[in-house]
Amino acid sequence: MPEPLTKELGDRLRGVVGAAWVIADPDRLLAYESDGLTAYRRTPRAVVLPRDTDEVSRVLGILSQEAVPVVPRGAGTGLSGGALADGDAVVVGTARMTDMLKLDPANRLARVQPGMINADLTTAAEPFGLYYAPDPSSQSACTLGGNVAENSGGPHCLKYGVTARYVTGLTVVTYDGKIVEMGGFGRELGGYDLLGVFVGSEGCFGIATEIEVRLLPKPEGVRTLLAIFDRLGDAGRAVTEIMAEGLLPAALEIIDGPTIRAVEASVFAAGFPTDAEAALVVEFDGIEAGLAADVERAVVRCREAGAREVRTADSDEERLALWQGRKKAFGAMGQIASDLLVQDATVPRSKLTDVLGRISEIGVRHDLTIANVFHAGDGNLHPNLLFDRSDPEEVARVERASTEIMAVCVEAGGTITGEHGVGLDKRRYMSLVHGPEELEAMRRVKAVFDPRGHMNPGKVLPDRPDAAGGAL
Amino acid sequence: MNPLAGLLSERLSKAQVVDGCDTEPWAVCGRLPKAVVFPESEEQVAEILSLSSEEGWHCVPGGRGSWLHGGQPPPGVDILLSAERMNDISAYEPADQYIEAQAGAELDALERRTAECQQWLALDPPGGERGTIGAMLAVGTAGPLQAGFGSPRDQVLGATLVTGDGRVLDLGGRVVKNVAGFDVLKLVAGSWGTLGMITSVTMRLHPVPATDRSLLFKGVEAADGAELACRLARAPLPLAAVELLVPGDGESGVGAPSPLVAVRILESVDAADEAERVVSERAGMPPVQRLEGEQSAAIFDNVRAMEDGAELVLRLSLLPTRLPELVEMTSRLRGLYDPTEGWGMRLAAHAQAGVLRVMIAKVTRSDDWVDRAKTVLGVLRRSLEAEGGSLVISQGPPEIVGAVSAWGELGPAALFTAGIQAAFDPAGILTRGRLPQ
Repeated sequence: MPEPLTKELGDRLRGVVGAAWVIADPDRLLAYESDGLTAYRRTPRAVVLPRDTDEVSRVLGILSQEAVPVVPRGAGTGLSGGALADGDAVVVGTARMTDMLKLDPANRLARVQPGMINADLTTAAEPFGLYYAPDPSSQSACTLGGNVAENSGGPHCLKYGVTARYVTGLTVVTYDGKIVEMGGFGRELGGYDLLGVFVGSEGCFGIATEIEVRLLPKPEGVRTLLAIFDRLGDAGRAVTEIMAEGLLPAALEIIDGPTIRAVEASVFAAGFPTDAEAALVVEFDGIEAGLAADVERAVVRCREAGAREVRTADSDEERLALWQGRKKAFGAMGQIASDLLVQDATVPRSKLTDVLGRISEIGVRHDLTIANVFHAGDGNLHPNLLFDRSDPEEVARVERASTEIMAVCVEAGGTITGEHGVGLDKRRYMSLVHGPEELEAMRRVKAVFDPRGHMNPGKVLPDRPDAAGGAL
Repeated sequence: MNPLAGLLSERLSKAQVVDGCDTEPWAVCGRLPKAVVFPESEEQVAEILSLSSEEGWHCVPGGRGSWLHGGQPPPGVDILLSAERMNDISAYEPADQYIEAQAGAELDALERRTAECQQWLALDPPGGERGTIGAMLAVGTAGPLQAGFGSPRDQVLGATLVTGDGRVLDLGGRVVKNVAGFDVLKLVAGSWGTLGMITSVTMRLHPVPATDRSLLFKGVEAADGAELACRLARAPLPLAAVELLVPGDGESGVGAPSPLVAVRILESVDAADEAERVVSERAGMPPVQRLEGEQSAAIFDNVRAMEDGAELVLRLSLLPTRLPELVEMTSRLRGLYDPTEGWGMRLAAHAQAGVLRVMIAKVTRSDDWVDRAKTVLGVLRRSLEAEGGSLVISQGPPEIVGAVSAWGELGPAALFTAGIQAAFDPAGILTRGRLPQ
């Protein structure tokens, strides 16, 4: 059980944010006991919801005086347990910091509070013909602050790149309450790229309280095609061929046979043939005039790779229908299994087919259903392990299979997470990809921003081998 | 050989160390190193740096020496480490679109190699083709293509860094999406060798586009060129680069120099035609010249080389919509040079990013020339900083850079500078003072 806030500390925090925005009631704290990775549950000591940079700074000032650990939290859609707080820690949430601070269409720039929902930014920019490019699958729920913390990707980052490419400035509050500006579009600062290293730091360096991002002009046209394959390997080959052709699709997404069958058995049925073993979604965007030729070349490559059917979309409605199976895959899997572990790893694209084969063997060996939904263009895999949490023996098999999948991906030249982050869940795999010197360098960099080690403790970095555990 | 060079040549070999007048090409902002060493492996780099940390010798890492005149002058240099002899391309995987090379590999060599497979490194930093990949990452400067493809920091996938105390760090990896731990690699990009010596770099590659087309539009004078560049930069199209070019006083014949706006389109054939139509319509005039393929690439190679032969290079920035004001502000620099000397002053601006490069062929020497430069540049920097912009001296006479400082104010972010340096270079041997403190 968490240690309750003392009255004195509670009063001081309420004095900053208002009584309604300090949550310490155990029933209400239940809502904060996990994030999108529900396998982990921990109850924080309290939750504080400040309104702006100044309030965050004062709240952190108070908490750091008392040496209370702080865990930043956005919408709680993360998939690595990064927003979980142990009973001694206070969650500082951004739920009330949802304002657009500045929208500057002429400079293609927006400055927002971190609690703004990713999709809301695009909605606000749309009347000016602009949009925000990184589009994590949870974009209708996840916050931009969370995206900064995780350096989030999404299907379209194949062409457009991940969050780090779009964040041009940050206001950050450090654990001791100091307010620091980093970057800023329209100026070139010498000095270290603090902004760059802050993005993806998973709440371990401080809390971003204002975020400046670059917007892009909305592509004039979008074309989508869907290719159905009898073999997953053929779909993988089609991806390689499309890229080798010199085409740069906006997205290249694959769902495998088990996923297709889950989708078709659910309310999200998208009309995919259930005997198929892979569906490949290829999307092109950009100048309208160039798209038809790109689509044509991609269709040829898909057919040559063995596609038994290729569907193209002419209207937006048809286009969304082609995406339906991909977008609803996670929801559909939720309907056929009580629990789902969404894994995340990246491998070099040329190793996709090989690695998928090995993941399938791992599934067979551990008697688990593994369904794959992935960003094939950049080699970012999402094997989904279906299980029932009430069966401890099955949970143990899921654990073992996950570890083996990570090892296979690293062995193929890849990494243990492409976009979900390390959080709590993947600390144990960090030494698969980093040696002791690299981990030590990361610890030292964290200590520069957070010398006391109280910002989101126990995340990202594994404990030092010689340490008994605990902070950093 | 001087004692330091002698000692180093015992550690490595005689052929790997030079001293005396042989160090002249390797002066760092005018300061001659006592010895230049040419390590041939990561291990040798680590050996020299850890020895230097113990002995307190000040080291500057370099490639072929193109950037040694840039940045803030260091207090003194004992050893310059050149990556020149570490120049292998260690891995090229066309299917995975990455290339890994030792830090001393020349950009030109990478370009030739990747062209075989219709791929390219979509970066065009200032400097020549013989610049090295390691120096490009260490300096971190982007060119006109940054709007379309990002800076070196956006395109680097991995690097090996030997820290000041000789630790070897493998940072990043070979895949585009990688969030396994803190992104330490971002600190290395643009760190000017102050955290360690980069020994190997892995870069993302792009497919060579079907069409490389540059459209040149002509303005009447610099101000309307800037307006035009702004207008074109805002076209709702994925333009690879929009560059304003104002030739030097001595390059344009009679009267004020006519500015050019160069728009680079990298697309499929049909898309390029359409982009050309939209851009020309937006310009309200047809292009004066239309370059295709190698010629299009060549004009942007010229933009890369525009700093060659300049004695003073400044980078001024503001938000892109304020480019005309930036251009206007350059009139304040008129007192620093004589327009009849060499080509005078050239301008080149990345219109989508709001960055204006000012190149002055020769700074006029008079009794109070350093004070004058200090006043003019100081006032200009303060007014830009007050507006959220910046002024950086990329290169200049050491007297001026020493007096004005290459970089502007960091503000509270400076809190972290010393900590970051200490994390990588605890003995402080790597040119502290070369970056803003």
